[in-house]
Amino acid sequence: MDISIRVAGEAGQGVQTTGNLLVEVFARIGLHVFATQSYMSRIRGGLNWFDVRIGDADLFSGKPGTDLLVALTPEALEALREDAAEGGMILFDGHDEADVTALPFTDTAKEVGKSALMANSVAAGAVLALLGYGTETLCDYLAVEFKKKGDAVVQSNVDCARRGAELAEPHAGTIAAPEPADTPSAVYNGTQAVGIAAARAGVKLVCSYPMTPSTGVFVYLAGVADEFGIVVEQAEDEIAAVNMVAGAVYAGVPAMTTTSGGGFALMCEGLSLAGIMELPVLIMDSQRPGPATGLPTRTGQEDLGFVLHAGHGEFPRAVFAPGTQQQAYEATRTAIETAHRFQTPAILMIDQFLADAQKNMPELDAAPAPIDRHIEEAPSADYVRYALTESGVSPRAIPGGDAFVVSDSDEHTPDGHITEDLDVRIEMQDKRMRKQQGMIAASLEPEQYGPDDAERLLVCWGSTYGPCREAVDILNGRGLSAAMLHFTQVWPLDVDRIGSILGKNAAQRRIIAVEGNATGQFASILREAGALTECELVLRYDGLPFTGEEIARRVES
Amino acid sequence: MTKWLSDNKPAWCPGCGNFSILEAFDKAVEAAGIDRKQLVCVSGIGQAAKFPHYTPCNAFNGLHGRALPAATGIKLADHKLNVVITSGDGDMYGEGGNHLIHAMRRNIGIKIFVHNNQVYGLTKGQASPTSDFGFTTKVQTHGVVLQPLNPLAIAIVEDCSFVARSFAGDPEHLQQMMETALTHDGGLALLDILQPCVSFNKVNTFKWYKDRVKPIADSHDPTDRMAALKLALTWGDEIPIGVYYRGGRPSFEQRSPVLADKTLREQFEAARP
Repeated sequence: MDISIRVAGEAGQGVQTTGNLLVEVFARIGLHVFATQSYMSRIRGGLNWFDVRIGDADLFSGKPGTDLLVALTPEALEALREDAAEGGMILFDGHDEADVTALPFTDTAKEVGKSALMANSVAAGAVLALLGYGTETLCDYLAVEFKKKGDAVVQSNVDCARRGAELAEPHAGTIAAPEPADTPSAVYNGTQAVGIAAARAGVKLVCSYPMTPSTGVFVYLAGVADEFGIVVEQAEDEIAAVNMVAGAVYAGVPAMTTTSGGGFALMCEGLSLAGIMELPVLIMDSQRPGPATGLPTRTGQEDLGFVLHAGHGEFPRAVFAPGTQQQAYEATRTAIETAHRFQTPAILMIDQFLADAQKNMPELDAAPAPIDRHIEEAPSADYVRYALTESGVSPRAIPGGDAFVVSDSDEHTPDGHITEDLDVRIEMQDKRMRKQQGMIAASLEPEQYGPDDAERLLVCWGSTYGPCREAVDILNGRGLSAAMLHFTQVWPLDVDRIGSILGKNAAQRRIIAVEGNATGQFASILREAGALTECELVLRYDGLPFTGEEIARRVES
Repeated sequence: MTKWLSDNKPAWCPGCGNFSILEAFDKAVEAAGIDRKQLVCVSGIGQAAKFPHYTPCNAFNGLHGRALPAATGIKLADHKLNVVITSGDGDMYGEGGNHLIHAMRRNIGIKIFVHNNQVYGLTKGQASPTSDFGFTTKVQTHGVVLQPLNPLAIAIVEDCSFVARSFAGDPEHLQQMMETALTHDGGLALLDILQPCVSFNKVNTFKWYKDRVKPIADSHDPTDRMAALKLALTWGDEIPIGVYYRGGRPSFEQRSPVLADKTLREQFEAARP
């Protein structure tokens, strides 16, 4: 049993504040929560909404249809009333209409709290009372949340919440709501999961140029910089950002940059530099739809082919695409570790959906746990940076010790100096590419969800995890056997292992790639690698995330 | 010597100004008492950018135009290192121009030695951002019509911490300027080094510079910004060499609370189990 609540209004009106209040309080009440946001590329006006789905079982995506719409503007009401689910209810900060219940959030806030800003607390109080959860947890939360602003502000917000609850009381029970149980009260979005993991892993320098939807991680790390000892520097452009990171990791400090597709495009030469200099550079690409500026605040999975091939020349890279907040936390660390273990760049791919999606889950460990940088601590007198080794990984020293560390973007001899000896060139290129064998052996296995003998296998990567997983449950619930194969690591691929998974029961099974792009990029990569022959495609590229229900419907038809 | 040991002899043309810059650098490093194990030479791409290969140091020979951001990352990671950029006018003033402006704003404690020969050498003789009006090349066939970039004036306007100019043909002056820059403690240091290109610049020759460079009078006060700007706008029959300007802002490292006690590297290593 689950329901979906949508808070909608203009940018700057408090849609996000109200949504956040509800998410935090629902989680504390003991509900499973999954929240997503849809916003326009503007600071004021327009139409933004915040979807909060609550249930009595674990949730992994949004769902179509709004059971309770809270419309803060006439525009929001007009645009979104069609999305109301059957038997759903609409609360409107305006006048009564057929199927619309007027609740004066703003006027109440002005009257009770002497500030229109407190409409958020009125609305949250109303929603909680309407669903029969009461306002006690909300009031406790407000007391903590507004503590810094003083007792008077806390009291006004509490009064507003209670007044909102009174207004909604007559309508309580209109919508059936899930039963609270014992659920984790910690709430994270993908942005926080990446940020916590990066800070914990010992990332000491973050250089970025702001770009939606990646900016959240940059801002998160700036917020914990003093606590963790991180320098967070806004670079003049993305080219500077990636080169600063290259310099920092050369000097022995884990570092990263955060960007989206357009900024990543500017980083390509720097990525290639990390390839030849064998530097553990980490780039986070938080995707949004393109080409070019595209849809700046929406979601998409359009950069995979680009990320896999970005940078001139050939060099090994590791690419991670976590699908959940938990995976984002784990994959961030794995990406940093992989980059350092194999001395080559790693790219962490998320997107607007995962960056903003909130879910309650067990608390993430944020205590510092620095990674192993795999540094040669005491290099000998005859140390050379790029010694030819069987694994392709050379002992890496950092400057400031007893040995000179010489790194060159030109092809170089093992001592790092520029060369045009073409035999050395082959040895060096082979050495670098040999690292890929170790990276394949260390690569993450795809996660299977659902029965081995399923007749439908949904293949996905990145943030499509949640919607696909829910689709699998929906399909199996309808007697249509289905399973999911999700890739958190999308490169390099262990082709033999993956090919054998995908080739199982080939004659009896439909393979369906589910991706947030227009061409089925991951399916193409699997085919090119020889791990897959044919598959069906379920694609979405309107800038909004999939829902489980939508995938199930499209797979059925 | 096994076959892979690099042939570490400079790949510069005989008579290139880079040789005297290299010699002056080695002397200045010694005179400044810099531990070479703590020295990182960073460069981009170009003839001058090969410099780090020819002197004992930690070297980061990165991408064209990107020496500054790489050096910034190194300095932020371990600000106890001496981080020096040795690169050309194309690298620093052309491809890397945006970084230079913002590095001045950032005032990071890096020393930049620009080998300014007013021409692109590695790509065989095209105009550089500092080429004078009318400079004719195989690309600028009708002569340069773009306003030459004035790096020192930009630096003074942006309150760069240390702004100086020297001449590769005056080794003593050059060594002194390099030593002064290397020991400068307040933030970004820009030393523009006029340098003849024997292969591709037949206008701004050794003699051309020699006839024009003139040491700045001792009476000049380098903290006087307007006087410094006036010097920076002097170019033609007379070219001043010496310390133009000293800004007074603390460096980025000095202002960063995170870097107050330990380097980032030390902080990372201290947190390990």
